[in-house]
Amino acid sequence: MHSIVLNTIWLIPCYPLIGAILALPWSVGWSGELGTRPAGYLNIFMAGIAFIHALSALVIGWDLPTQELSYSWLHSSTLNIDFPIEISTISLTATAVVTAINLVSQIYAVGYLEMDWGWARFFSLMNCFGAGICGLVLSNSLFFSYVFLELLTLATYLLVGFWYAQPLVITGARDAFWTKRVGDIILLMGVIAIYPITGTWNFTELATWAQTAQIDPSVALLLGLSLSAGPLGKCAQIPFQLWLDEAMEAPIPATVLRNAVVVGAGAFVLIKLAPVISLSPLLLSILVVLGVATSFCCSLIAIAQVDMKRVLSYALSAYIGLVFIAVGTQNVDSARFILFNESFGMALLYMSIGSIIFTNVTQDITQLGGLWSRRPFTACSMLVAIASFVAVPPLGGFWGFWQLIQSLWVEQPWLVGVILIVNTLTTLSLVRLFCRIFLGKTQPMSERSVEPFWLISLPVIFSAVFICHLPIIIRDLGMLPSLDKSNVMLAPLLVWSSISGVATGGLLYGVNAIAKPIKLPIPAVQNFFTNDFYVQRFYQLTIVWLVATGAKLVNWFDRYIVDGLVNLIGIGTLFSGQTLKYTTSGQSQLYILLAFSGIIIVGLMMGLLV
Amino acid sequence: MLSAIIWLPVLGAILIGVSPKFSRSIALAVCVTTLAVSITIAGTFNYQDSGLQFIEHLNWIEPLGLDYNLGIDGLSLPLVVLNTLLVLLAVQATDIKVERPRLFHALLLLVSAAITGAFLAQNLLLFFLFYELELIPLYLLIAIWGGEKRGYAATKFLIYQALSGVILLAGFLSWAWFSKTGDFNYESLAATHLPANLQLLFLCIIVLGFGIKMPLVPFHTWLPDAYVEAPTPVSMLLGGIVSKLGTYGLIRFGLGLFPDAWLIVAPWLALISVVTAIYGSLIAIAQTDIKKTIAYSSVAHLSYVLLATAAGNSLSILGAVYQMVAHGLILALLFNLVGIIEAKTGSRDINKLHGLLNPKRGLPFVGSTLILTMMASAGIPGMVGFIGEFLSFQGSYATFPIPTLICLASTGLTSIYFVIIINRTLFGKLAEDFTYLPKVTATERVPAIILTALIILLGIQPNILISQIQVTTDNIVATLPTTGTQIAGIETKTSD
Repeated sequence: MHSIVLNTIWLIPCYPLIGAILALPWSVGWSGELGTRPAGYLNIFMAGIAFIHALSALVIGWDLPTQELSYSWLHSSTLNIDFPIEISTISLTATAVVTAINLVSQIYAVGYLEMDWGWARFFSLMNCFGAGICGLVLSNSLFFSYVFLELLTLATYLLVGFWYAQPLVITGARDAFWTKRVGDIILLMGVIAIYPITGTWNFTELATWAQTAQIDPSVALLLGLSLSAGPLGKCAQIPFQLWLDEAMEAPIPATVLRNAVVVGAGAFVLIKLAPVISLSPLLLSILVVLGVATSFCCSLIAIAQVDMKRVLSYALSAYIGLVFIAVGTQNVDSARFILFNESFGMALLYMSIGSIIFTNVTQDITQLGGLWSRRPFTACSMLVAIASFVAVPPLGGFWGFWQLIQSLWVEQPWLVGVILIVNTLTTLSLVRLFCRIFLGKTQPMSERSVEPFWLISLPVIFSAVFICHLPIIIRDLGMLPSLDKSNVMLAPLLVWSSISGVATGGLLYGVNAIAKPIKLPIPAVQNFFTNDFYVQRFYQLTIVWLVATGAKLVNWFDRYIVDGLVNLIGIGTLFSGQTLKYTTSGQSQLYILLAFSGIIIVGLMMGLLV
Repeated sequence: MLSAIIWLPVLGAILIGVSPKFSRSIALAVCVTTLAVSITIAGTFNYQDSGLQFIEHLNWIEPLGLDYNLGIDGLSLPLVVLNTLLVLLAVQATDIKVERPRLFHALLLLVSAAITGAFLAQNLLLFFLFYELELIPLYLLIAIWGGEKRGYAATKFLIYQALSGVILLAGFLSWAWFSKTGDFNYESLAATHLPANLQLLFLCIIVLGFGIKMPLVPFHTWLPDAYVEAPTPVSMLLGGIVSKLGTYGLIRFGLGLFPDAWLIVAPWLALISVVTAIYGSLIAIAQTDIKKTIAYSSVAHLSYVLLATAAGNSLSILGAVYQMVAHGLILALLFNLVGIIEAKTGSRDINKLHGLLNPKRGLPFVGSTLILTMMASAGIPGMVGFIGEFLSFQGSYATFPIPTLICLASTGLTSIYFVIIINRTLFGKLAEDFTYLPKVTATERVPAIILTALIILLGIQPNILISQIQVTTDNIVATLPTTGTQIAGIETKTSD
């Protein structure tokens, strides 16, 4: 029985996929007047089965030695591609987390999208997402990681563009697709280039290879850069950070799933690639720099946003930036732990604000306020989410940060400072969000607000309770980082950084006497933050302009020069024919003259040649 | 057996000519029978045998060296099956109320016969005959049933294609003259060895001839006109299978007959394919007519086949053949869907069409299939386009790393122009002029469903096709002289 559950683990991505396929007749409108509800329930059912399977596999497979199942997929005389599935504690945990969040966000969607007409399409896309991530975390092959990342890119495009009648939505979907696709294609370059060198795409074999590899530093750098580009794009890190912000046009349940697990999926691949990446020390430094830049800039931008979804999206980019720092400094365990915690905290944050948006019909925090007395449950859930997302003991976020700074303290102390600052800034932005929604004066948009009905409230409260219990589960499983006695002072430092964030945020935004919105002394600086550092403008003036102008120029060249030349020859032929036809006059004298002069010319030429 | 695939459609065309009615039913019946025959051949085909199978030989005009000599191998088999399938779907996609149905259907059948003949012919003159014969019905189809600029497009098409044929004929004739074999049979010519400089000369002539057919930049300007002006079923055939004659010819008559010279020309071919890929993709971005975008995308995507062929190792040739099939399926479906959109809305302009995905009043089925196909064309995994591109690139990377990476980058451009089309035409609000679009009937959906199923099936289970092609492509590569660069690192690595 036990081995059956583990040996059929490949079924876990298949359940949601089957659900997605079965929902097709409803999503193309073939169900007629039947209504689209059954499609949703069917998908939730399949997601539920996937979750049960994943959970029982986790229980059975916990702490067992790593196994690998392998299925032959593509077979040619010079290239064989297998689909290896890794059964380890890590992959099973990841699968359980993914299926759980997929299930919860779909149940949440039943309430949130109650009146939506695209119901069937939505659920089948959600399950495509679910299937993609399950496949990604289970597969132990770089090639299939690429395949699943690419499928996630497509699913992101379609899910962000879910409400495709609105212009902002489709530009958001487009930018998300293009940005991630750039990352994916560079990743594919790496996938193709690494094979002739290593002869394998299997992560385990790649790690073994990396231990003894003698490789030119510049090759290692290029290879590593191209392999990191996919995760960088997927995780919305600088320079690919813009899409996540624009992707906030998607419906909230989709955002829950995407921001909780899909964005982290890129980092998951990066962690698996860590042995290969560490071949180039320069690349590791680049990753650290990118991570520092992203977490610093994005946590600053998050403070300046008025759209509550965007506050969270930038906070997420900043948070994943810490994972990149962890990978760049080769603290793979901390990276995994931070990522694990991120998924729960982010899911609950989005579900909480979703329940606010659902009843208040706005996501602009300047139009909200004073909801504390009307929405106590949501407020408490949100507090739990914030506390678990940043470093507040004993919740999950604290342990990940602590583990990371413990090892950084010895190697690169300046990074500890970065992490503390980012933690403060993120806390500040989240506390600001909380205060603007729940404290302060009531506004017209927040006068009438009740806790939404059970289909929305229940998943939120359930998740909040679960997150409160998470530390106990982690402790029982023995996953808590071991206490290092020498650096015990780091924990108060971390807590202090969170407290200072809470204090600043509470003081600035919780006290009614301070006028909102808070103005910075120099308007230019304020605009710089609110406009996300003008990055979008910058891209429009550079890359977008380059491609658009290039396309127009080449098109012009093709139409007027290449095709123009062809047409010129054609017209020239016609014209000369038209002109020459007047020489056929019918006078035999002329013909004789022409023939005679022709003979003379030929004769002269012969004479010259001979 | 092989003759049946060629002559059944001809018989069908004659039958349509004599019977006053039922041209569509006759054409469908004939196409189904032909497809059944070709599938039977594929079923009984021995995959382990690298040589020609089902050989038919008749002496025809001996003094000229023209024999009726047919045979099939792993290179031509998938293309023949693809051809018979696409012709069936083209007939199915033909508007029921098409003008002069008898002539239209008869001509479609003749195109099918000629293309099959070209794929099967094992005599160079016979190949040339079929290669030219296919032009006549195609010219008529474009010139009679085409769009507004049909006269211009058809004439341009004919001149370019005839030029391609003439160049090839010149190459074949002079080569047979120099090799002094006296006949034009493929196998006897393949056995002769010419001096390197002559080989190089003939190879250049042949590359030029097939390069016009494919087409390669700068000989491509016939293509957007012909593809755009042709009626939908003809566009499906042009993009789906006729263009494959060029790439097939390059592998069969270029790589197969001039292995020594191929190595000299290959770097230049790689360069041309890079130029073509980037050039075609960039122009496709600037178009506002969906059909024109697809036409230019075809130019770009076929250049990957050229790159893989130029690389000339086992994996890349396999990828090239796979990419041909992938490209054929995807392009036929794209043209089919755009044809339906044009038939229902009367427009192909991305500035006029909006919100076609609307579930009640729009074209949700066509829209969602179009998204899927465009993503397949952009190389999203899980669909056939990815396998073709991946195998080609993985193979060609070993020989030409830099051109491969540039071509890979151009697949990114594919997603740019297709996402522009999806965002403009399928997403958004349905325009007021198209308040009630006519429904898409089940008959119109059939080709799209079959092609979609194949695109996904071959994308998930590539072994179905690879097992057919593999032995033949390995055999072709085995004729290439192995130099230091040619033994790819990849081939040595996989053994351990």
